[in-house]
Amino acid sequence: MGFLSKLAALFGPGKKKVKILVVGLDNSGKSTIIQKLKPNAEKKTAVPTVGFNMEEFEKGSLCFNVFDMSGANRYRSLWEKYYNDAEAIVFVVDTADKFRMCVVKVRMAELGMSLNRGGLADKTVSLPLKDELERMLSHAALEKVPILFFANKKDVINAMTPVECAKYLELESIQTRAWQIIHSNGLTGEGLSTGIDWLAQTLQK
Amino acid sequence: MASNAQDNNAPLRMEGKKEEEDEEDYEYSPFHGIEKGAVLQEARIFHNPQIDARKCQQVLTRLLYLSTQGETFTKTEATEVFFSITKLFQNNDSNLRRLVYLMIRELPPDSDEVIIVTNMLMKDMASNNELYKSGSIRVLCRILDSSLLQQVERYFKQAIVDKAPVVASAALVSGIHILKENSDIVKRWGSEVQDAVQSRNPMVQFHSVALMYMLKNNDRLAISKLVSSLTRGNVRSPLAQCLIVRCVAQVIADSQVYAGQERPFYDFLESCLRHKGEMVIFEAAKAIIELNNVTEAELAPAITILQLFLSSSKPVLRFAAVRILNRVAIEHPMAVSNCNIDMETLISDQNRSIATLAITTLLKTGNESSIDRLMKQMSSFMSEIGDEFKIVVVDAVHKLCLKFPSKFRSMMSFLSSILREEGGFEYKKAIVNAILGIVRTVTESKETALTHLCEFIEDCEFTYLSTQILHLLGEEGPRTSHPAKYIRYIYNRVILENATVRAAAVSSLANFGMKVPALKERVRTLLKRTLFDNDDEVRDRAAVYLKLLNKQEEESKTPQVLRGKNISLSGLEQSLREYLATPMMETFDIATVPEKELAPVVNMAKSKDTSGPAALDELTLKSDFEETLSSIPEFADLGPLYKSCEPMDLVEKETEYTITCIKHIFGSHIVFQFNMTNTIEEQVLEDVSVQVDLAEAEDYQEVCTIPATKLPYGVVAQTYVLFSYPEGTMPFGRMVASLNFVVKEIDPSTGDEEEEGFEDEYPLEDIYLSPQDFIHATKISNFRNKWEELDPETEIADEYGIGVRDSLQDAVEAVVETLGLAACEGTEAVPPNARSHVCLLHGKAVGGMEALARVNFGIDRNMEVAIKLTVRAANADMSEALHAIVAEG
Repeated sequence: MGFLSKLAALFGPGKKKVKILVVGLDNSGKSTIIQKLKPNAEKKTAVPTVGFNMEEFEKGSLCFNVFDMSGANRYRSLWEKYYNDAEAIVFVVDTADKFRMCVVKVRMAELGMSLNRGGLADKTVSLPLKDELERMLSHAALEKVPILFFANKKDVINAMTPVECAKYLELESIQTRAWQIIHSNGLTGEGLSTGIDWLAQTLQK
Repeated sequence: MASNAQDNNAPLRMEGKKEEEDEEDYEYSPFHGIEKGAVLQEARIFHNPQIDARKCQQVLTRLLYLSTQGETFTKTEATEVFFSITKLFQNNDSNLRRLVYLMIRELPPDSDEVIIVTNMLMKDMASNNELYKSGSIRVLCRILDSSLLQQVERYFKQAIVDKAPVVASAALVSGIHILKENSDIVKRWGSEVQDAVQSRNPMVQFHSVALMYMLKNNDRLAISKLVSSLTRGNVRSPLAQCLIVRCVAQVIADSQVYAGQERPFYDFLESCLRHKGEMVIFEAAKAIIELNNVTEAELAPAITILQLFLSSSKPVLRFAAVRILNRVAIEHPMAVSNCNIDMETLISDQNRSIATLAITTLLKTGNESSIDRLMKQMSSFMSEIGDEFKIVVVDAVHKLCLKFPSKFRSMMSFLSSILREEGGFEYKKAIVNAILGIVRTVTESKETALTHLCEFIEDCEFTYLSTQILHLLGEEGPRTSHPAKYIRYIYNRVILENATVRAAAVSSLANFGMKVPALKERVRTLLKRTLFDNDDEVRDRAAVYLKLLNKQEEESKTPQVLRGKNISLSGLEQSLREYLATPMMETFDIATVPEKELAPVVNMAKSKDTSGPAALDELTLKSDFEETLSSIPEFADLGPLYKSCEPMDLVEKETEYTITCIKHIFGSHIVFQFNMTNTIEEQVLEDVSVQVDLAEAEDYQEVCTIPATKLPYGVVAQTYVLFSYPEGTMPFGRMVASLNFVVKEIDPSTGDEEEEGFEDEYPLEDIYLSPQDFIHATKISNFRNKWEELDPETEIADEYGIGVRDSLQDAVEAVVETLGLAACEGTEAVPPNARSHVCLLHGKAVGGMEALARVNFGIDRNMEVAIKLTVRAANADMSEALHAIVAEG
């Protein structure tokens, strides 16, 4: 491994290294997406990340250095420790977890549905997704940093569409930075490359 | 003034020296002058997208250096550094990674934050890189909680049997750490650890043996089994072997050995003495030497091996051997004496620590004939060693002198010669203490010692020592054959020294004046000169003593009133204070002082506030009592006071009168001193005495009673009763006592007492006399010799059951206290987990009669303790008396 990476450094001086922070609530599929993005990924089911994970992969002329943060409530406060040198943010949204996405706007009927499907792993009332997002976007270190949303788990029936997500999360109000929302499926890899290509383009501008 | 000048110089010299040392440090340390702030600034490079592994390693090393130097990081600093370090995981340089592991372990941030690296570490642990694996295991064991531990437990198990030794060791050591908090988890690893014991790698073997031992540590049977399997197996690692030797020693210490029976595992220890590794040999020799009640035969092979070490070319072996031998020499001087020749060559060893230990060992094992030679060798050697070693030597000489009192001359001259040399305070203090100790035990040495000490204070820079010596001169000087010759030395101090020493010298001079009539005139002249001293204390003392000297002359016909020594300054202070509290209508009468001056009055007054027993103990000093008692004419001819017993309460607390009894033992008399306090405000007692019924103490004859004339409210007064008893006996007795007095009421309105009083009697608790009242607990260093010296005819042995006790230690303490003897040779301490114990006791009774007791203790499963008491004493009566104490108590 050490030798290989040295070789890579030797032959690929033009590859620009970018640091990317992958965040999102727990059980939204971050680690699965990252595994899928790695070219020679070994097939294994992801277990909840404790702390963070670090991965590296190349896309085009860029070398992505990915910090896969744990989404568990306990570690969310630690995300900001890594904001300082992040050049892009990937925010993974669980489209099936309507309850946590936006507590205020979810109707009681919808709530009942999501509960039935067992999408509510974390019963301890944590900050809803929207609040987490707002807190992050208002952080000084992340001004201007492009942000890519993966509306993940498109395979789940009754999942929200990207448009619905954007509406719930009020993404239209983001005007100071580049952002994109992509419908994706971490298990099959659908939509992932589209998103990463967009990110590569935005970063190279 | 000499000492002041010294004080000023001392720190300066010290500073100079320190600077020199620092300069040396600067030259060699690559970390010189690094600062926390600067390093933290440097740590920013951890954030760079392109990580420079080499640079980062340097910064991490500096951070680690700071933290090992005791530099502390604030919470924010630590957190910031920690998170920047986590970014270094993206680099795969193994050296850098190792430092990252170290740093996370050394600088643990909040447990909440440190958990962030868990995933990375777990990934490393599952990787194929051995260095990553071992490093991450060592960090993980520190940061995981029990639930996370269970998740990764299988990785740990795999790591223990990993073929890479570095990984296996790391996992085993982690096991030892985890054991402290999550012992359940580690207990499941038993079979893996067992496999690791068979490892070919010495370090893995060592760690697995250690973990194995810790796993079973709570189960004595399991340990015993483990040890026996380990001693049979082939453990090659010397470190592991050492560890096994230690376990074996522990097992032996825990198991009960009966006389004549062979010790378990002794063969193993002996076989270890023939091991290839010196470390193992030494460990085995040490274990043998530290066995309980080790016999000479068992010691012999170990001593022989150590003797070989003594002539080894490696200094560390010589040092280890001589240090152990030094320890054995106290208990088994004979066993070590074989090594004396080798030891003597070590005196000239280049390493001064070895030489010092050699010489002190020789002093312990030496016989009378070799002392002179040793002393000569030592004088040349003393100048070459440091103060702390010198103190060790001085202590050894002191002990030797107590062992061979006849050799005091050569030892005294040795001590005085080293006293004249350069040396620090602690060293000088040790020498002076040694000389004082010798003076106390070897009376013939007194005059020589005083002369040496006089010379020493001529040039002594330590105020503390000067005053101590001056006090001793004042006490002992007047009793020597030529007291006059000390006067010059003492007066020189008055002229030359600082105020504290001058004051001590004045007191000392005055003592000479009071005790030696021939010198009185000269002393008075000298004291008059000191009246013009510029220090208050010195002037005051001179004035007081002059006054006393004059007074002594006037009243020489009534000696008991004021004989210099009887003036207790504390008593005087007490009466003056009392006088100041009154309206001061009359002039202060010094004649009232002697009556109230009795030392216990002051004691009681003090103990009223503190009421702690400690305060009393400290103050009921024998000399105080001696002073007090000898001022009472009836008791003047009783001879020297042998012992004063602890005060004993004769009434319940919080009653009308508080009465304590102190028994003072003389050669053929006993004085009961009753300290009484009247706690009723409306009463005054007169003509107070204690009536004692001797029906159950037939050996005692009442000689006289000294009543207290008056006992007003809140004042402590004394009454005494004097008894005689046949000399040389220690009769038992129970005395029924009662307090007789005349009560007079006080009119609460006027405060006047009534004219008429009525006689009354107040019953007291019985007073017991038992042999331990007559015996002083004294420690001796060589119990066996003393035991042999005493007539075997006096030996009486018997067995007693003393019931259920909490522990053996508890039983030993109780028996020692009941007998009133002192435990010798450290036998009062029971080793942990022991089932039996032998305690050696010694005491000295009136007239110097000695008593020795050997007590064998045994404790059974139900914590029932049985003892066997074997006593030898100066005569059979005394032995019987000691048995009687146990039988009665």
